[in-house]
Amino acid sequence: MKWSRVMVVMFLTVVAGAALTSDLWEKTSYDQQFRESPDAPPSRRFPLGTDALGRDRFARLVYGTRVSMLLAPSAALLSCLAAALLGGLAGLAGGLTERLILAGADLFLSLPWLFLLLIARACMPLNVSPAVSIGITFALLGLLGWAAPARVVRAGVRELRDSEFVLFARAGGCTPWRLLWAHLIPNVMPVLRAQFWIAIPVYILAETTLGMLGLGVSEPLPSWGGLLRELEGGDIASRLWLLAPAFLLAAVTVSLQLLRPRRDLAI
Amino acid sequence: MAALILLSGLACASLVRYAPGALVDEGELNQRAGEDTIAALREHKAQQANISANFTHYLRGLVHGDLGYSESNHSPVAALLADRAPQTLRDLGLGLLGAWLLGLGLAISVARFPEARCDIALMASAGLLLSLPAALIAYLFLLAGSGSASRLVLAIVIAPKIFQYSRNILLSAYGASHVEMARARGTSESTILWTHVLPSAAPQLGALAAASVSIAIGAAIPIEAICDVPGLGRLAWQAATARDLPLLINLTMLVTLATTTAMAVSEIFLSRRPEFDMRSAA
Repeated sequence: MKWSRVMVVMFLTVVAGAALTSDLWEKTSYDQQFRESPDAPPSRRFPLGTDALGRDRFARLVYGTRVSMLLAPSAALLSCLAAALLGGLAGLAGGLTERLILAGADLFLSLPWLFLLLIARACMPLNVSPAVSIGITFALLGLLGWAAPARVVRAGVRELRDSEFVLFARAGGCTPWRLLWAHLIPNVMPVLRAQFWIAIPVYILAETTLGMLGLGVSEPLPSWGGLLRELEGGDIASRLWLLAPAFLLAAVTVSLQLLRPRRDLAI
Repeated sequence: MAALILLSGLACASLVRYAPGALVDEGELNQRAGEDTIAALREHKAQQANISANFTHYLRGLVHGDLGYSESNHSPVAALLADRAPQTLRDLGLGLLGAWLLGLGLAISVARFPEARCDIALMASAGLLLSLPAALIAYLFLLAGSGSASRLVLAIVIAPKIFQYSRNILLSAYGASHVEMARARGTSESTILWTHVLPSAAPQLGALAAASVSIAIGAAIPIEAICDVPGLGRLAWQAATARDLPLLINLTMLVTLATTTAMAVSEIFLSRRPEFDMRSAA
């Protein structure tokens, strides 16, 4: 492994570890209000100051990181599972099933991802509990992101289906179930792994955009997009610490971009 | 393509129809509204319950140039689209032009004068810009007080993608044996670029140009919403949050038409070069 990848993995591990174990070392809750000090500048007590409601920005950033770093991979896993199921079915079954699934994928791909996400999210309830809003946001990301990976999986499965070793396995009396588990799935896994790593930064950015447009995770739960909405207030020059979520977001997404397989960059 | 556009409109209509609270009008919450008003509002909403009937009615109107009425904007949809489209088209055009000038210009420089440090710095900058959401870049430009933020942001959001892909395409074209042969024969670098490299890379660059239109349409929505630009992207955001069905159906079909046309053009370009694979370029 190249040293740059080692550094990236270490950085992501530290960020994810810090976010996941924040309950052990961060004593302030993300929604605790310090009404005596709203809009406070950074201090030893509040490293990133407090927001207009007197909440500790650092605690909110740590918790927001947890939300993004836990749920983006979950959404990516969901879309990969859907892609494996539908793409695999299309590749194996062929005929009408394949045509129908491909038409569905084309329908999803014919709309810009963000436009689709915006309409779908806006159609979901917005006045729900924060936990439900997290579920809705990331479930939508996962469910709407199946089309592109499904096409890749379908191509891979088709290639495998027509390959010689599968033909030999069939000729040797291999049952369809065993063929699937022992031959097809292990060979499709690298494709799915690549799609999984590609999807994570995309979903983090999508959630951030939704949050900035007011359609992401509901208050008081923090997320990177929600935290970045504070920039709307303006006057950044004298409050540069408001950019902390942007720096963390950029560092994490750049790291994830560096981890993903280079040959899988696609328009 | 036509089936895809109709399907997208129907899917959008179904999504809005089955959204929670879709058949309830906000006007019902008005305490001053009388029983007759509430009954009229309910009857009006009840008419929207049947998706297929509504969609057929919409299509019939579409044939006659009637795109419906936007309740959230209190205006006919056709008038709204005609009013907002020029702004978005202008921004998209200028944004794409800027992105191509910047992205392709840098890609040509990198491919023509391969310098490791410069290449790494540009690739890192492109990677960093691609790691920031368009909405955040829009915020930063607005805060910096940029007057024409939306166009600049569009250019900055799209340019890194154009740079990354065109750099790979041009590097591959510069590595071709006929280019080496031309160099060995003493052909000038500008002649090599115009007569050897760009013509052989043209199909892929054409495909990238078409794909960049689709990318720009997607990026225009958050940028227009954040920069408060009165264009189609902001209209789409408002329509989505207000669940304005007629407006959403029209915008969905319009966006699908633009995207599928761009992708079809992209595929035509790629089919002129069957051995080309966009993934291998990346």
